[in-house]
Amino acid sequence: MTVVAPAPPRETSLDWVKRNLFRNWWSGLITVILLPLSLYLGYRALRFFFVTGQWDAVRVNLTLFMQGTFPRDEQWRLISQIVIFALAFGIGLGTNSAASHDRADDAGLEIENGSIAGTLARMWSLVAFIALLLFFATTDDVGDFINPFLVVGGAIVAAAIGYQARRLPRRFRNVGWVLTMTFLVIGFQVVSGFDAGGWVPLSIVYGSVAFGAVPVERFDSTWVRLLLRLVALAVVVFAIRAIYAAVDSPGIGWDVWSGLHLTLMVSAIAIVLAFPLGLLLALARRSTLPALRVMATVYIEVIRGVPLITLLFMGQFILGFLLPAGTVLSAVSRAIAVMTLFSAAYMAEIVRGGLQALPRGQTEAGQAMGMAPPTIMRRIILPQALTAVIPAMVGQFIALFKDSSLLSIIAILEFLGVRKIIHAQADFRSIGFAETLVFVAIGYWAFAFAMSRESQRLERRLRVTR
Amino acid sequence: MTSEQNQSVYSDATQAKGEAVIELTDVDKFFGDFQALADINMNIGAQEVIVVIGPSGSGKSTLIRCINRLEKHDRGTIVVDGIELSDDIKNIQEIRRETGMVFQSFNLFPHLTVIDNITLAPRQVRHESKDSAEETAMQLLERVGIPEQARKFPGQLSGGQQQRVAIARSLAMKPKVMLFDEPTSALDPEMIKEVLDVMIELAEGGMTMIVVTHEMGFARAVADRVVFMADGYIVEVGTPEHFFTNPQEERTKLFLSQIL
Repeated sequence: MTVVAPAPPRETSLDWVKRNLFRNWWSGLITVILLPLSLYLGYRALRFFFVTGQWDAVRVNLTLFMQGTFPRDEQWRLISQIVIFALAFGIGLGTNSAASHDRADDAGLEIENGSIAGTLARMWSLVAFIALLLFFATTDDVGDFINPFLVVGGAIVAAAIGYQARRLPRRFRNVGWVLTMTFLVIGFQVVSGFDAGGWVPLSIVYGSVAFGAVPVERFDSTWVRLLLRLVALAVVVFAIRAIYAAVDSPGIGWDVWSGLHLTLMVSAIAIVLAFPLGLLLALARRSTLPALRVMATVYIEVIRGVPLITLLFMGQFILGFLLPAGTVLSAVSRAIAVMTLFSAAYMAEIVRGGLQALPRGQTEAGQAMGMAPPTIMRRIILPQALTAVIPAMVGQFIALFKDSSLLSIIAILEFLGVRKIIHAQADFRSIGFAETLVFVAIGYWAFAFAMSRESQRLERRLRVTR
Repeated sequence: MTSEQNQSVYSDATQAKGEAVIELTDVDKFFGDFQALADINMNIGAQEVIVVIGPSGSGKSTLIRCINRLEKHDRGTIVVDGIELSDDIKNIQEIRRETGMVFQSFNLFPHLTVIDNITLAPRQVRHESKDSAEETAMQLLERVGIPEQARKFPGQLSGGQQQRVAIARSLAMKPKVMLFDEPTSALDPEMIKEVLDVMIELAEGGMTMIVVTHEMGFARAVADRVVFMADGYIVEVGTPEHFFTNPQEERTKLFLSQIL
């Protein structure tokens, strides 16, 4: 006869309170102090939010917060840009997750399955921010009203389409990436007009994007591969040149962008540019060539020793002297350049940490098979080192995103800077300061929190497929 | 004991019978002030299996790591398949392509699947096409007995399976010589056999091998010559039969008495 152990008595809510809040005299004391305090603070916060807060300053200026002073008639361009970027983001995400699902399937691994509901739950801070926008929106701001839905909907649909890329034969897979790139390019051009850079660079841009579909690895001749890579490099350079011509064109380029739109664009561009630069710096710092190593070290240590705001001022006032005479750089371009250079130094240290953490045996295994050092770096070391430092890197991205608020000090009207125009309006000269500030804070938090959640998920997923 | 005595007594045994694939002449290696290799003279012939044994710190691993330039020797010459090791990176690469190496800690690439681990070098170094590299890889996995693990990641495999993948990975470069650096030392006892079986099969297939190991059974069964090293010197070289039944040097006798 088997003896069944009696089930432990069910915990009552009173037990829970006792166990968690009043376990001993000092935990009881802490509870007695903190509980009323937090209740009171919560009450004050809710009261400010729903009763005493004068939210008109936010309500009336919602469009200003989102898109700043961009000409009202041309606003559709910014809206289209955001939607197109959302499509690009979605397709990239879908393609990427399709690829990692395939790898996991091959290896017989269980992988976290993303659903739309799951994604929205993960991104709840952004959903909450959109809800807040809706709460504030008036019928005048149709653009702002519709925009978040277009963006979220577009990203979800695009991600679903990208995910369907699984059904394609594998060698057509990079069609997904090509679409992503195409949308990115169109996204910039929709703002500046499609002929801002002239037709020649424009066709090169799309040519280069199409070129991305060429599976270079499949050519057997070294020379053909080298040639194709050189062509790819050349078109990328031209593409960047053309995009730059598009975004820096006077009147509608990014110098007149402002608000949250500018904040997101500046951070995204600086992040995208700082990553490869930081990578190169990290490699240079570990190089066996002394000149390269010393230069990288000096650069990194100098940049890391100077406050960002100092560099931003220097960018506005001194950068001009260093550039060839006649070069015109808009204030936003300079700011992006400075933020990129600044972040790259930190990124370099993060990447270097990842490189150092790898066991020597990995390099030796590559060497023992006669692989060349650059190949070992590219195929063996970097994929592992970069995966290992994702959390630190996203931390740096979040810092960069928040630091973009410093641009308001150098007279660039990004998300925080928009407050200056708002409180220059006659209606809000003396009221609503706290409200606008709280609104901006919530906005920053929503994006930063979403980024951090996404990085945790990415980390989990990459850990699964290794 | 000096190296001269060493050479005079055993110069015959250090020479390969047939044509030499690897020739080590007067090789010295220092780590700072510590002499890791001293007066190493040794020839290894084609299809020969050499087992290197000795106490830890005796220079066994350093010896084979010098052969493919994972460590740089300080004096003497090392010739592999007619190519002398020099600082010329081209030479080094060429020698490394001729010599496969299997490590104690496997050193598989954890971010790549088993098949990608095996095809990486053939595709990157020999520029083989994906299809042909994968075909070879599958044949090799067949040979080491784990074709069904091809799409898995190293982390999903047992230690013995990982080491067998590592052997297949080295073989994929079609090396003339295989170097084994204590290939079973990091394995649980029940997995040692499956790796040794693969190595025995490889030896029977005519592969030239230098194996650093503590597996005396393997040495006895497979080795053409056993090399005993201590303090950076080659103390004694001989056939397994001679070596295990009738060792000449006191140092060898002491070592064998400790481990057998």
